[in-house]
Amino acid sequence: MAAGVAAWLPFARAAAIGWMPVASAPMPLAPREKRRAQDGFIILNVSGTKFQTWRSTLERYPDTLLGSTEKDFFFNEEINEYFFDRDPDIFRHILNFYRTGKLHYPRHECISAYDEELSFFGIIPEIIGDCCYEEYKDRRRENAERIQDDADDENNKEGVLPDMTLRQSMWRAFENPHTSTLALVFYYVTGFFIAVSVIANVVETVPCRASPGMIKDLPCGERYALAFFCLDTACVMIFTVEYLLRLIAAPSRYRFVRSVMSIIDVVAIMPYYIGLVMTDNEDVSGAFVTLRVFRVFRIFKFSRHSQGLRILGYTLKSCASELGFLLFSLTMAIIIFATVMFYAEKGSTASKFTSIPAAFWYTIVTMTTLGYGDMVPKTIVGKIVGSVCSLSGVLVIALPVPVIVSNFSRIYHQNQRADKRRAQKASKEAGQAFLNKTNLSFEKEHHHLLHCLEKTTNHKFVDEETYEKNCMEVSSVNPPGSHCSSISSQHGLTSTCCSRRNKKTFRLPNSSHAGSLQELSTIQIRERPLISNSRSSLNAKMEDTVQQNSEHPYVTAAIISIRTPPVTSPEGNNTSDSPDYSQRNIVKVSAL
Amino acid sequence: MNLEGLEMITVLVVLGLFVKVLEQFRLFEPIGVEDSTEDDFELSTVCYRPEGLDKLQEQTKFTKKELQVLYRGFKNECPSGVVNEETFKLIYSQFFPQGDSSTYAHFLFEAFDTDKNGSISFEDFVMGLSIILRGTINDRLNWAFNLYDLNKDGCITKEEMIAIMKSIYDMMGKCTSPCMQDDTHREHVESFFQKMDRNNDGVVTIDEFIESCQKDENIMRSMQLFDNVI
Repeated sequence: MAAGVAAWLPFARAAAIGWMPVASAPMPLAPREKRRAQDGFIILNVSGTKFQTWRSTLERYPDTLLGSTEKDFFFNEEINEYFFDRDPDIFRHILNFYRTGKLHYPRHECISAYDEELSFFGIIPEIIGDCCYEEYKDRRRENAERIQDDADDENNKEGVLPDMTLRQSMWRAFENPHTSTLALVFYYVTGFFIAVSVIANVVETVPCRASPGMIKDLPCGERYALAFFCLDTACVMIFTVEYLLRLIAAPSRYRFVRSVMSIIDVVAIMPYYIGLVMTDNEDVSGAFVTLRVFRVFRIFKFSRHSQGLRILGYTLKSCASELGFLLFSLTMAIIIFATVMFYAEKGSTASKFTSIPAAFWYTIVTMTTLGYGDMVPKTIVGKIVGSVCSLSGVLVIALPVPVIVSNFSRIYHQNQRADKRRAQKASKEAGQAFLNKTNLSFEKEHHHLLHCLEKTTNHKFVDEETYEKNCMEVSSVNPPGSHCSSISSQHGLTSTCCSRRNKKTFRLPNSSHAGSLQELSTIQIRERPLISNSRSSLNAKMEDTVQQNSEHPYVTAAIISIRTPPVTSPEGNNTSDSPDYSQRNIVKVSAL
Repeated sequence: MNLEGLEMITVLVVLGLFVKVLEQFRLFEPIGVEDSTEDDFELSTVCYRPEGLDKLQEQTKFTKKELQVLYRGFKNECPSGVVNEETFKLIYSQFFPQGDSSTYAHFLFEAFDTDKNGSISFEDFVMGLSIILRGTINDRLNWAFNLYDLNKDGCITKEEMIAIMKSIYDMMGKCTSPCMQDDTHREHVESFFQKMDRNNDGVVTIDEFIESCQKDENIMRSMQLFDNVI
């Protein structure tokens, strides 16, 4: 519950006056609490800068240094202040967190200094407000990467780690060519051969001077067929060896085979082998020629060598919807204009616009402002339509392009941010759990309020499982015979009112579910259906411990109660069994 | 489509483009388009200051320190100085996570908002609290009667009581033991009327209410619970 709302608890309790006249049962006693001393000032001296605030402000978060008794270690009697030898600029933000309930991250501060201050004062960084959380996480990630890079450089300089197998070192060499000279050599050799192979593909179609004795020019590929064949064989050898080595070294062969790069590798070397296998048959030579086209895909092997190509591929993939929309709108425009053009030119003689699909070519050429001139309209209407077509072509093509370009960067960053946010969600819940701790007297009064409501309506709060069980057994008159509800009817509460309340108060400010974070809970009672925990006996226990530890106003830690033996009289009677009750059944778990 | 039809269409298209171009140069204002007036610049925040501390101290029964504490809590949650019904419901619902407290919060809002301007200022807030927490038993009963009397006509009818009772039972939520029936609150209303309605005329007036409450030991005792809230 937000600290601010705690201030409205007196109002909520006053509003309960509406229940009193209609109550069907007598109200429980109000929690007896010592009249707390008037809220006083507390002076915090941080390296000479004095900060002043109310004591109750600091008490809002009892699980931090300032909210707990830990700050007594820093109390200095000579100056009668709490002295901290820390950075006052960052302390300002920490104190604001107590005042407003939101923690902000100042952009000009160093991230590691800020982290150190937070951990000193016992505040977990996950509660940083949404306004500053992105920035904080980005800076932290950069910092971590920088540290990681430095560590990696150290590692790389050391050489191979002792416990890496040959396979792992091979994979590492393939993925990071800078790790060893052998890897670097391999990297450059494969790059060289890719380039040679692509250039050979290109050159073998260039017409060479005819050999003496021949009349017409031949492509170089046919003239020096043997040379090109040897070159091709050498390249394919290298590529095959490289592919096999990668396959062996890959940590997950299945994943490697499915990856894009390996598919490109396979497509690059397959045509050669298929060509070896197939004979010089007339029928299949056409298909064979087509296969050779795939040799050009070797150029994509360069993407292993170029970071930029990889990024481009990724962004194209993520922009696919935008591109699809552009294509769709273009197609629509093309069809419209081609149709109109066809019918406009239908009447003219010797018109090249023989059909609508034939008009497609004209429309595309006009809209992209190419204007080859192989098809031109001859009628006036056709010319008007043609001019409208070219004008709109400029608009239709030019408009989405900047949108797509800006979308590239936006989508790229957004993807990264969405992934980041998903990863951060779990830690955000931890933050919420931390925020929702309140101090004890507030809990007592709130319990009393809920108890009054129960008395008014003569119904009790139960948790979901008990409720379902109760409603299953509608036949039996009394509350059905589960042990816990009979206890609860005597004692006035089943356990998980509190845990449910804790969960629900998380739900109100944000819809995350904090039930999983057991270790950060305050008064969070485990949800086992047979646990019954009387809230009034909880009150009694609290009062008792409060009375016993009168010097320590807080029971700071989380208290998890195990199953209690039935206590006969519900309220007010806390003397008899509470001592051994407190020893036997209270498990104090410190949250920090 | 013959050529003449197509010519006509293209001529119309060209005319339309011409009109658009003229509009651009503001030489040709088509009828029926009004100048959109600029939106009034609304002040996004409404700031409201309460009366002075001394005046409030005269009007209520709180001490200065108590008023200070109350105001600080009030202002923290509502920096603008007034609470509107949405915020009020939100704050109140945080205390009752298991049920739906919005109806009861609405009734409370109506009871606190004495000048009926749709928002509770700090004065309204503190006056109401003063009656409940520092008033005499009769004052408190009067205030409770005012809360129940939804249309403020001086008597509580059965419908009003049913609405109030339903709102209270709504706050319990679904998961209760014993299971909540649909007409639990009606039975409760019946028993309430039996106790309060002396002359059995179907409504409870203020006198009947106060008289019956004074006779009931439990109610009297529960009224004293409010002495120590602040």
